[in-house]
Amino acid sequence: MDSTDLYNLKQHFFLGMAHSHDRTLPFFTRLLPQGAYKSLVEQKLPQQSSEDYIPILFYKARAHIALGDTQAVASLIPTDTENFALKAVTVFAKYISAPAGDAALEELRDLCIEIEGDDVEATEREKGWVRVVAGTAFARAGEIEEALETLGAESTTENLEAVAIAVQIYLSIHRPDLARKEFERAKPWAEDDLLLQLMESTIGLVTGKDGYSDSQSFYTEQLANPSLSSPHLLTARGVTRLLRGEVQEAKSDLEEAVLQQDGHDDAETLAASVVAAGLGPKKGDADELWSRLASAYPEHPLVSTVYAKASEFDDLVVKFRVPPLAIPTAA
Amino acid sequence: MSVMLTKFESKSNRVKGLAFHPTQPLLAASLHNGSVQLWNYRMGVLVDRFEEHEGPVRAVAIHPSRPLLVTGGDDYKIKVWDLRPQNRKCLFTLHGHLDYVRTVQFHHEMPWIISCSDDQTIRIWNSTSRNCIAILTGHSHYVMSALFHAKEDLVVSASMDQTVRVWDISGLRKSTPNSAPNTFDTFDNFSTVKYVLEGHDRGVNYAVFHPTLPLIISAADDRQIKLWRMSDLKAWEVDACRGHFNNVSSAVFHPKHELIVSCGEDKTVRVWDLAKRSAVQTFRREHDRFWVLASHPDLNLFAAGHDNGLIVFKLERERPAFALQGDTVYYVRDKYVRSYDINTGSDIGLLSVRKFGSPYVPPRTLSYNPAERAVLLTISSDNGLYELTNLPKDISGELKDSSLDGKRGTGHSAIFVARNRFAVLNKTTQRIEVCDVSGAVVRGITPPVQTNEIFYGGTASLILSSTTSVVLYDIQQQKTIAELNTPPVKYIVWSQDGSQVALLSKHTITIANKTFSQSTLIHETIRIKSGAWDDSGVFIYSTLNHVKYCLPQGDHGVICTLDNPVYLTRVKGKVVHCLDRSARPRTITIDPTEYRFKLALIQNNYDEVLYLIRTSNLLGQSIIAYLQQKGFPEIALHFVEDKNTRFDLAIECGNLDVALETAKAIDRTECWNRLAQQALKQGNHKIVEKAYQQAKNFDRLSFLYLATGSTDKLAKMQKIAEARGDPMSRFHNALYAGDVRSRISVLREVGLHPLAYLTAKTNGLEDIALEILEAAGLTESDVDDIPDFGRATFKTPLIVTPTANLVWPTVPGGESFFDKALVNGNLETGIEPHANGDAGAASVALDDWAKDEEQDLAADEDGWDLDASADTRPDEGDVSEDADVEETEELGPGAAPGVDETEVWTRNSPFAGDHISAGSFETAMQLLNRQFGVVNFAPLKPLFVSTFRSSHTYLSPLASLPPLQLHLRRDPSESSLSRALPTAVQNLRQIRADLSEGLRAVSGAKLPEAQAMFRSVLQSLLFVSVSSDEEAKEWRSTVTSTREYLLGVSIELERRRVAQEEPDNVARGLELAAYFTHCQLQSPHLQIALRSAIQAFTKAGNAGTAARFARKLLDLNPDPRIVSLARQRIAAGDRNPRDAVEISYDEFTEFEICAASYTPIYKGSPTVRCPFTDAAFLPEFKGTLDPLTRLTEIGAVASGLPAPR
Repeated sequence: MDSTDLYNLKQHFFLGMAHSHDRTLPFFTRLLPQGAYKSLVEQKLPQQSSEDYIPILFYKARAHIALGDTQAVASLIPTDTENFALKAVTVFAKYISAPAGDAALEELRDLCIEIEGDDVEATEREKGWVRVVAGTAFARAGEIEEALETLGAESTTENLEAVAIAVQIYLSIHRPDLARKEFERAKPWAEDDLLLQLMESTIGLVTGKDGYSDSQSFYTEQLANPSLSSPHLLTARGVTRLLRGEVQEAKSDLEEAVLQQDGHDDAETLAASVVAAGLGPKKGDADELWSRLASAYPEHPLVSTVYAKASEFDDLVVKFRVPPLAIPTAA
Repeated sequence: MSVMLTKFESKSNRVKGLAFHPTQPLLAASLHNGSVQLWNYRMGVLVDRFEEHEGPVRAVAIHPSRPLLVTGGDDYKIKVWDLRPQNRKCLFTLHGHLDYVRTVQFHHEMPWIISCSDDQTIRIWNSTSRNCIAILTGHSHYVMSALFHAKEDLVVSASMDQTVRVWDISGLRKSTPNSAPNTFDTFDNFSTVKYVLEGHDRGVNYAVFHPTLPLIISAADDRQIKLWRMSDLKAWEVDACRGHFNNVSSAVFHPKHELIVSCGEDKTVRVWDLAKRSAVQTFRREHDRFWVLASHPDLNLFAAGHDNGLIVFKLERERPAFALQGDTVYYVRDKYVRSYDINTGSDIGLLSVRKFGSPYVPPRTLSYNPAERAVLLTISSDNGLYELTNLPKDISGELKDSSLDGKRGTGHSAIFVARNRFAVLNKTTQRIEVCDVSGAVVRGITPPVQTNEIFYGGTASLILSSTTSVVLYDIQQQKTIAELNTPPVKYIVWSQDGSQVALLSKHTITIANKTFSQSTLIHETIRIKSGAWDDSGVFIYSTLNHVKYCLPQGDHGVICTLDNPVYLTRVKGKVVHCLDRSARPRTITIDPTEYRFKLALIQNNYDEVLYLIRTSNLLGQSIIAYLQQKGFPEIALHFVEDKNTRFDLAIECGNLDVALETAKAIDRTECWNRLAQQALKQGNHKIVEKAYQQAKNFDRLSFLYLATGSTDKLAKMQKIAEARGDPMSRFHNALYAGDVRSRISVLREVGLHPLAYLTAKTNGLEDIALEILEAAGLTESDVDDIPDFGRATFKTPLIVTPTANLVWPTVPGGESFFDKALVNGNLETGIEPHANGDAGAASVALDDWAKDEEQDLAADEDGWDLDASADTRPDEGDVSEDADVEETEELGPGAAPGVDETEVWTRNSPFAGDHISAGSFETAMQLLNRQFGVVNFAPLKPLFVSTFRSSHTYLSPLASLPPLQLHLRRDPSESSLSRALPTAVQNLRQIRADLSEGLRAVSGAKLPEAQAMFRSVLQSLLFVSVSSDEEAKEWRSTVTSTREYLLGVSIELERRRVAQEEPDNVARGLELAAYFTHCQLQSPHLQIALRSAIQAFTKAGNAGTAARFARKLLDLNPDPRIVSLARQRIAAGDRNPRDAVEISYDEFTEFEICAASYTPIYKGSPTVRCPFTDAAFLPEFKGTLDPLTRLTEIGAVASGLPAPR
């Protein structure tokens, strides 16, 4: 059983985020907290002797990374730490800040092998964390297979966070069947954890099961959760509603999410707003939002794919010969 | 096992007789000590006592419809009493019995009283004539009971002679009873013994008819209760209920259920199943033998009398199990789950739960899950059971029984906590289990307190009710979030938005917010039954006899009174919806004004306050006192007529105008003083002055004048002081005014000569000083020992600001709103600013409409999905599939990527729009080219991009991982990937809206804008996917009409260009004007075209053609002004039917207009067409770009819009 502090921390980490997904640092810096994750980053560390010290430090570091503030990780975690989880997270931060090189990945690979050793001084939980962090990095690097293997997908390990990541990886490669299998595997021992519910909801979003009702209920329930409030949840529900075809309701959720961030719109909300506006009657709004998204977050996948498609369009257009305009010859 | 629920208990001498009042909560109890008590068992008070009998009173009865009470005692007397509260007294006494009277009863329609006695007779009395009209003899021992049948002319009696007898008294009704007293034998033949029921081995204490069935039960000293059945000819013993281990005193039928209730000297009350004669329940009392039992004629209510008093009890809970979801109440009635729609009033049965738990016990709670459309019921029998059942989708024929597929388990309390989770409390093991919908336990919780009941506590939370507190408990974290100390909470009610919760205990209500961080507690002396939240956030609750309200901050009050308890389900505006004690939906109309007014006050919603003041007659001291107490004197002011109160309030809220006005009316010194004080505080010295004047407070007035620098008024004050002959005042005024002479003269007049002298001296008034000396008979030398004080430096202060003419500016206070609205009487009648409950009516209607639309769309698509076949599947789909296979091999097993949804989209749809959504621009272009001959794609780029953009959205469920791309489907309820289609970014409805905007531009003569708009409409139409033949038809007609408009607008633009650039080319201008009228436009636009043509032709002198246009115009029924104009033209044309300019326009031959050259193509001439819009062109334009849409190649071969799917 997690202590209360750690529980709250994890809850915020899993549900309260609005985070970054791109590999370049400038993007991250523009995505800075605005409420999301803030509570986490601002969380006070307990005494070093406390058994919560390592876990809280670990999640705090990951929150920093999620916000793109990799520098903070370096200052947060002593360089000479012997703890594997903390080591892993330090390396992960390094990887995020400079994803080009393979060095960080190699380091993570080494760590993964090290923890397999018999005489290693790490708890099972810490080992799990190392795998989670490494799996995330591998997934980001596109090493899907390695990531899944590291996370112990299709095995019997009881590492819920790893399962969650595996589920998302499966979904990203359009294998909802495997994602569900992984989810079902966790169900018997996960004690109905919030993370498990989040997984179920995510699978629902991709597969559209029962008209997205799982996801809708999940986010609606969490929004009503007294111990948690986050614009990310609103955004997520907005996206769910978009998927359900409830464009007006989606818009109101997204607007509320922006309001909760004092008018600042994060990439995710803005991207969803673009989509929502594009489906509404006033297409002009969509273009205005789009230009804001494209200029503020050029690395957001929506922006990049749309740009890619636009240039694809330009390439394709030339394949068609355009005949001369029919000019009336004489009246 | 059902529970016996004691509602009321009293302590007294032994109770021998009991009778319920049929309508009021009253119970008459006759005691062994001779007293007859009248109890209000609901309030628990002794209403009255009748003490005229001597010795024990065994018999008591209340008339079923009239306020009469009858008693019979061991003094052989039968007394009839008036029950009306104002004159409760003995009306008359019936003498005749020769021994103890055992029972008495009124007949339900005749003015008869039946009595039985130890004198072995049964007597029937006429209560009008007060005579005995029949004596039934035959019993050979004490007659212990004699009762009428509820409908028929029968009497059943029980006797110590071990028999039960049934008497036929129909003869009594037929003949006029003999009114002569003491003629026994004359009426003996009216009644005959019908049956003698023998079977009991000991004396029979009580026998009674079933109200409807031909059944009798009897209770006897042989410890048995016997059930007898009657036919027309005979009566026989059916069975006996054995179980009492001492004399059975009484036994009655349950008024509603097939049950028998009995009591006896073995100190028990027992319940038996009428059908099986088996014991259902036993209620034991420690020390008291039961002597008498009575059942309420209508309600589930019984009373039993014992050695030391009486108890009133219910056999089962009446509170129906119910749950509210939106505007629908799901509830249980007679072991059926039903739904009641508050808006439509439709009340339908959904599910039978007859086999759930004990058949005698109704389910205790119901929890509803809207997502799964499932109900979770609990029942208290069998030590607590729960059952989870899905409600059937269609309700027709026999209702499903929950035992069919319900999931059952044991538990005392079970509720849904999330869409697919429910929690079950096992009270004995103190364990809460969270289960998923299949009933599998996913989590176990040990509650932190001894928990008696669990409730939904908001997301992932439970509310645990213990004996002393409620705990808000987080399921995930397994810890207590908050705890409130309350008496045991029995029910909770969440507000609609889930922000507040009302916790109901027996006598308290705690209103808390969702985190339990704030709460208010309300105490009630009467038991609280239920509650519901008003839409405005007021909690409405019911007690046994009231409907009350409670405001968020804890103010509460009565709304109306109730005859019988009800269970509130929903409050909407003025209507309270509730279930009555037999679980029938009811509504009560209440006046919400008072609480809405108070709420508005608390929320500072002054618009609402004003509105309520305007529209309702909220008056009375209580409201005024409330307003004053709550700090709103300015509002209270509005209500008050009484001068004194009004003055008080005006002073309190600082409203000087009103205060002055009322002070004038009252005109009492004390009022003026208070007004002056308040005005002084505000610096309004004009009013202060007025008040001082009225109060004749001269000193203060003078000082006020000094303070305000009002010198002239000070002078006046001096005069007044002189007139009043008040030297002190005169002196003061002189001092204030700086009038030295006057001062001296005052001093002199009052004989203070030394002071006068010195004053004069120090002010340099030597002559006056001398004068004073002289008057005093002194010389200067007499006073030369006085030291020289020098010159007086005292001066009156300078007037820096002439305050006298100013009034101190006051801050426009908070009362200004009400000043404006109330005091000035500007009560404009406005629209209700806040209509509780129906404010959102319009938007709700809109939502509904939107919902309908969605459903229609979905339904359409469903229909077409059925025959969806892969006939026009583009080849590209296969290609990408091959690519998948190749990729798969590169990756390791278990990680093979699946099929992207977008590929499915392209595979499923032959429409370009769907391919664009899928991101497959290449196939989309090919499709457009093939279907519509589109060659020029450049103008379509924004549409391509925005359509693609709006078909996908992104979400990051986990930190630091790339977000997931999510695809927007056309039909969200379609969960099968193989049939998925992308959302319709471009749809006909929206495009038609755009089209009508273009039409407006035409009406407004903004032609270039209109042209652009029509073009963009045509572009958008390319991306529409149609799903039905109707839609395809609509699509086609939209394309056609847009084309016509585009053509028309283009012609008109060309005409204007010609008119401007080639002013000499009149003929071409006229031609174009004429062609414009040939476009298929809607009537208003065609009128414009025709009018402009008429104008052009008239100007050019082509009066004949102009007249023909005018005739066409008249056909369109334009408005009268235009009609007259047109007639003018026709007349002109008739006068002069020539055309000055010759043009190429033959209106009598059918023609189309070439959209490139704007020349007519007469019928039969060769044309080429635009493959998309079907616009006609001269053959010479084949192969060129369509100038209308600028997208397609004229004359290209195209397949057209694919078949709908």
